[in-house]
Amino acid sequence: MKKINYIQTIFFAGTILFISSCKKDYGSLNGPTVEAYQNNSTQAELNNLVSGTESGMRTSIAFYLDDVGTIGRELYHFSNSEPRYVTDLLGANDATLSNSNFYITTPWASRYRVIKNCNVLIDAANNTTLVTDAQKSGYIGFAQTIKAYQLLMNLNLTDSNGIRVAVADPNNLGPIVDYQMGLASISSLLDSGETDLTNAEIVFPLAGFSQFNDAAGLLKFNRALAARVDVYRQQWSDALTALNASFFNLNGDFYTGVNHVFGTGSGDQLNPAFIPQNQNGEVRVAHPSYAEDILANDDRIGKATLRTSTASIPAGLSSNRDVWVYTSSTAAVPIIRNEELILIYAEANIQLDNFSEAIKALNIIRTKHGLADYSGAQTKDALIDEMLYERRYSLYFEGHRWIDMRRYNKLNELPIDRPGDDVWTEFPLPVTEQ
Amino acid sequence: MRKLFFIAVLISIMVLPLLSSAQNQTISGKVTDEKAGNAVPNASVVINKTSQGTMTNAAGEFSLSAPANATIIISSTGFKSQTIKVADISGPLTIKLEQDVANLDEVVVTGLTTTVKRRNLANAVATISSKQLTGTAPAQTLDGALEGKIPGAYINANSGAPGGGITVKLRGVTSVYGNTQPLYVIDGVFIDNSSTSAGLNAVTSAASGGSPTSTQDNPSNRIADIDPQDIENIEILKGASAAAIYGSKAAAGVVIITTKRGHQGKTAITLTQDLGIITARKLLGVREFTADRAASLSGDSATSAALRQQFMDAEAAGHIYDYEKEIYGNTGFARNTELSLTGGGEKTSFYFSAGQKDEQGIVEGTGYRNNSIRLNVDHHISDNVKIGVTTNYINSSSDRGLFGNDNVGVTTGIALSSTPSFAELHPDAQGNYPNNQFAAANPLQTIALMKNNESVNRFIMGFSLDAVVQKSNASTTKLVGRGGFDFYNLQTTALFPGTLQWQAINKGTSIQGFTKNLATNYIASIINTYTPSDKLSLTSSAGFTGETGDYNNLLNVATQVIAGQSNVNQAGALTATQTRIKYLNSGVFVQEEANINDAVTLTAGVRFDRSSNNGDAGKFYTYPKAGVSWNLTKSGIVNEGFFDNIKLRAAYGEANNVPAYGSKFTGMVVSNIAGNPGVIVSTQEGQADIKPERQKELETGIDFSVLKSRLSFELTYYNKSISDFLMLQSLPASSGFASKWVNAGNLRNQGVELGANAIPVQTKKVTWNTSVNFWLNRSMVTKLTIPPVPQGSFGYVLGSFQIEQGKSATQIVGLNGQGVGVLGDAEPKFQMNTYNEITFFGKLSLRFLIHWKQGGDNVNLTSLENDFGGTSADYDAHTYDKDIPNGPYRIMQIGSSAKIFVQDASYLRLREAGLYYTFDNLHSNAIKGINVGVSFNNYITITKYKSYDPEVSNFGTGFSTGVDVDPYPASKQAAFHVSFNF
Repeated sequence: MKKINYIQTIFFAGTILFISSCKKDYGSLNGPTVEAYQNNSTQAELNNLVSGTESGMRTSIAFYLDDVGTIGRELYHFSNSEPRYVTDLLGANDATLSNSNFYITTPWASRYRVIKNCNVLIDAANNTTLVTDAQKSGYIGFAQTIKAYQLLMNLNLTDSNGIRVAVADPNNLGPIVDYQMGLASISSLLDSGETDLTNAEIVFPLAGFSQFNDAAGLLKFNRALAARVDVYRQQWSDALTALNASFFNLNGDFYTGVNHVFGTGSGDQLNPAFIPQNQNGEVRVAHPSYAEDILANDDRIGKATLRTSTASIPAGLSSNRDVWVYTSSTAAVPIIRNEELILIYAEANIQLDNFSEAIKALNIIRTKHGLADYSGAQTKDALIDEMLYERRYSLYFEGHRWIDMRRYNKLNELPIDRPGDDVWTEFPLPVTEQ
Repeated sequence: MRKLFFIAVLISIMVLPLLSSAQNQTISGKVTDEKAGNAVPNASVVINKTSQGTMTNAAGEFSLSAPANATIIISSTGFKSQTIKVADISGPLTIKLEQDVANLDEVVVTGLTTTVKRRNLANAVATISSKQLTGTAPAQTLDGALEGKIPGAYINANSGAPGGGITVKLRGVTSVYGNTQPLYVIDGVFIDNSSTSAGLNAVTSAASGGSPTSTQDNPSNRIADIDPQDIENIEILKGASAAAIYGSKAAAGVVIITTKRGHQGKTAITLTQDLGIITARKLLGVREFTADRAASLSGDSATSAALRQQFMDAEAAGHIYDYEKEIYGNTGFARNTELSLTGGGEKTSFYFSAGQKDEQGIVEGTGYRNNSIRLNVDHHISDNVKIGVTTNYINSSSDRGLFGNDNVGVTTGIALSSTPSFAELHPDAQGNYPNNQFAAANPLQTIALMKNNESVNRFIMGFSLDAVVQKSNASTTKLVGRGGFDFYNLQTTALFPGTLQWQAINKGTSIQGFTKNLATNYIASIINTYTPSDKLSLTSSAGFTGETGDYNNLLNVATQVIAGQSNVNQAGALTATQTRIKYLNSGVFVQEEANINDAVTLTAGVRFDRSSNNGDAGKFYTYPKAGVSWNLTKSGIVNEGFFDNIKLRAAYGEANNVPAYGSKFTGMVVSNIAGNPGVIVSTQEGQADIKPERQKELETGIDFSVLKSRLSFELTYYNKSISDFLMLQSLPASSGFASKWVNAGNLRNQGVELGANAIPVQTKKVTWNTSVNFWLNRSMVTKLTIPPVPQGSFGYVLGSFQIEQGKSATQIVGLNGQGVGVLGDAEPKFQMNTYNEITFFGKLSLRFLIHWKQGGDNVNLTSLENDFGGTSADYDAHTYDKDIPNGPYRIMQIGSSAKIFVQDASYLRLREAGLYYTFDNLHSNAIKGINVGVSFNNYITITKYKSYDPEVSNFGTGFSTGVDVDPYPASKQAAFHVSFNF
């Protein structure tokens, strides 16, 4: 028995050694984790979050542009593998917008994913001692501004169905708020971003912000978005105040602004809204009304080029013009640019009855696009129609037409192609939100 | 390392005093069966209480050196064993063994390192012998060789592609998202059975989202590498009640494989040569076109007229083709050469084998090659200490073609589905293939120019140590160590040159994957057998185990490849993905077995496990097991008479399935912009406190044999429940996440397994051995804390699996005309098999295996694809409606009902049949025996299922099997065999 005791002793010693020795946790080997950013992130790590945020803003942007462009009767997207662009979105026959289909779930989720990333960035910036307070304000100001923009994109789709604003804690989400409340929240997010950016130092690189990549530039971008939200809220004089703090310039280049940019680099994205001209099968063509309604000599006809053959589908839709706004797979998609700001200036002045100032702005647009000065009636209604015409052609396929017509209760003026088609006013909330 | 060193020191301290040897004498003899007097080859002759022994040769003869005070035990599968005292032996022995169909003396592995005789077993452990595995009609791969042979299992080939790819599910669904495949253990080494995608999704877009890999890439599983010819015996522990002691990887069952070993005696050399032909099991046929039918392929009047003209021109020129036959109608040749040497002396024995297999597929450019070398060496350092080393090097290569689902119309089946017989796909005189105007790809061109190869270099090595460290009259203590590693390099090469019709945009794609995988494991245990009297024996064991895995996969997708090149740098664009998986599982176990009077056996054990994949990597989870078997004849409750043997048994055990690597983290994904590196949160939220799934199984049964052990029955009922099963739950997208891992609920499997073994005929001239098995399983989701989750497949429109509380876990739901309802279930109603061996004059042997699967539905989209393309053979027939032909009728079902796509996949299949003749008494010194035979695999299948084969799985080996989307068609094989014994 002595021997057994000896063996047992050694064996149990071995067991104890075993239990104490080999507890391992390998962590995440295939990429960083959210948790890793919660404790003393370096400037490089924070900058990665900024770039991921800017990159994520582009994800599934084509779905948004197709949604707004198709319902706003700017274009048709014909696809062999995806009929729902011309059934659900146009309301063909009995088709309705579903709360579980890609056209709402995908863009909605992509925008909230960026918001999540912004929240990770804010937490990371607040939990590090490796950057200065001014730099911290820069990160937070950027994150707040982008969050506001992403919320606005989703609210544009769901309109009176609202959005969820308080989403910082995934296990304890806030309520869905209505349209006005949503806009108010977006506005205050922008204001809080403005405060942060006022005394900020920017130490992160940005890709699509051109000259607006420093604190002053980001402030101007923030205010440009604020001006857009103000006109959506019909707070016309606030819009003018915001414009003055933005990069608004009546005499400036129309395309000065901030863009989603695309590239062929590793891990980068190509412009998903680009389809070459004269394709068959997968095509994005201009709604026939685009060419029918455009004024003679308007150079914006160049955004819808003639095809060598008419594209049609058996369901009874056809067009002989390709959408030609994004002309290469690396073409930028504007987030907001000076041409829109000039039109916001015109709109606010119309609403504030400063018709001459409004006409001055509209004529700048008209002149540059080959049209004569505005000669129509100088009434609010006539000028609103003129402003909507300029917005329709200037901001074609940039995601505005449907929202503008909805703002002015003019959705019933959009053309109906086939008996039974519908012009939707809003998307349902995705099924997972209900 | 510290630990291994410690173990080594420990072993040497205890072993050294025992390195002494007793006086031996040599005994020899011949073993025959009692009834017919035929020699019993491969019977084991072992010195009691040691691991020393030998085996009889083809003539039933053996010779062994044994201590004078020892006893020897002679045993063989199918016979009762005999014990003889060496002291009583004088001169050559003649040993006659009694038949026993119940195999009660068979030794079965029950603990990690302990064994028990079948007569005392508390579980129904299925055993497959070498003869059953490969002796009838050898399958291409090991997993294929298991098909139809395991009661309680659902084994299903994913496709007919060469090189394997087979789903094995023991006793129903074990997990939804976790591992559903059993753990394979070869000679104590845990074998990796993962499958690595070659990145085909980059060209097929079968799954959306832009990932280069998907579950629809149809890779093979790595167990296919193992050469079945090396296998001596396989034991299958089907559930936790038997497998609990294997811990964290055992929830889906354990397949314990023992390879052949050397034995004391003359060196035996066996050379085997197989030659076979492989043909398609079934072709679907093609639509017979007429001018009107050709014209009807388009609704546009101009196109329609052009098609009519094209058909008439093709018909006039005699250019009407059967492309299905042209592509799938080839005959593949198969050859398989095996050489084995086995032998040994008093101290050292060895088994060596070398095998080469080369099998062509039924599609040009596809096939499977496997080269395998094995050396198993056992050495007795002393009477008390034995060490063993097993080594296996494998080089395998499979060319699998491009098949299955895709969304761009390029795989062989999908391209074929829309190609009518009057299309011209053949190359011109210069070898240039025309574009296929009816599909995105010209399948003849794709087959001729593409390559999709998986090649593996694999090295598996196992070590074992058995040391008796203490021995007295009543007590024996052994130290047993097992361990080893399994290392492989896997290279996947998928090449699609720019000249392919469908590479016009990518201008050539080269997808190259490099995978390195190292798995190691060890078991160290101490076993004490205490026998205070003849009536009581106690076996105590305790030990610890560890398993590590380190998987590293680098997948490069290069496009715009320079003509004629395949290196990924010879390309215009390159995307690389790297995936790493690493884990450490460790456990401690104790087990106690008590055998009272050889009539009652009680077993109890407990295992504590932890895994680096769990939320809390340091936490030990506890898994108990217990079993009882009560032999009524041995204990005298039932007198031996009508019943030769009758036993009641019950066992309970728990085991776990660890979460997938990484499920506890919320990852960040790379998302760059304009050269700025960026990260964005993954859409899958991690669950920091994720727990393993826990399986609890209760098994009970009765075994009895009658008619002098010529007829035996084994009846088993089991109830296996899985609690905390892992699911991906959908989240509100506003959280920023799409899904997260949760322990979502419980599910249950209940089933019965009935088996009968018999020798209906036993005369001097003819012996007929037969076994019949019947089994069925029913599952139910008993609790689900999240809303019903559709699973795999293609949604309600075409039929989808759905996890839903109160329903079968494998139900198939879909549109039923009124809404969404249950359309079927992938679970078979029952399965049956029968294995038979009829021997004439001890020389001519007929063996066959019939497998019947009744019920179990598939989602058949292959015929739908053909309807979409207007090429199904019965497109113009009127089976369903007298006005609407079948093709349009079936298409019209889409959107209102999926009933027509959910089809009964019952089959009755002659899986294996073989006829062998043995020549012995050859009066030659060189050749001792010649065995010749012919065999047939899958030659007869009776099924109403309307696609290539009822066995299919577009989604591989995961949860959703039975989805049929233009797979590589199943094949059958006829072969000639000859083997020489030297």
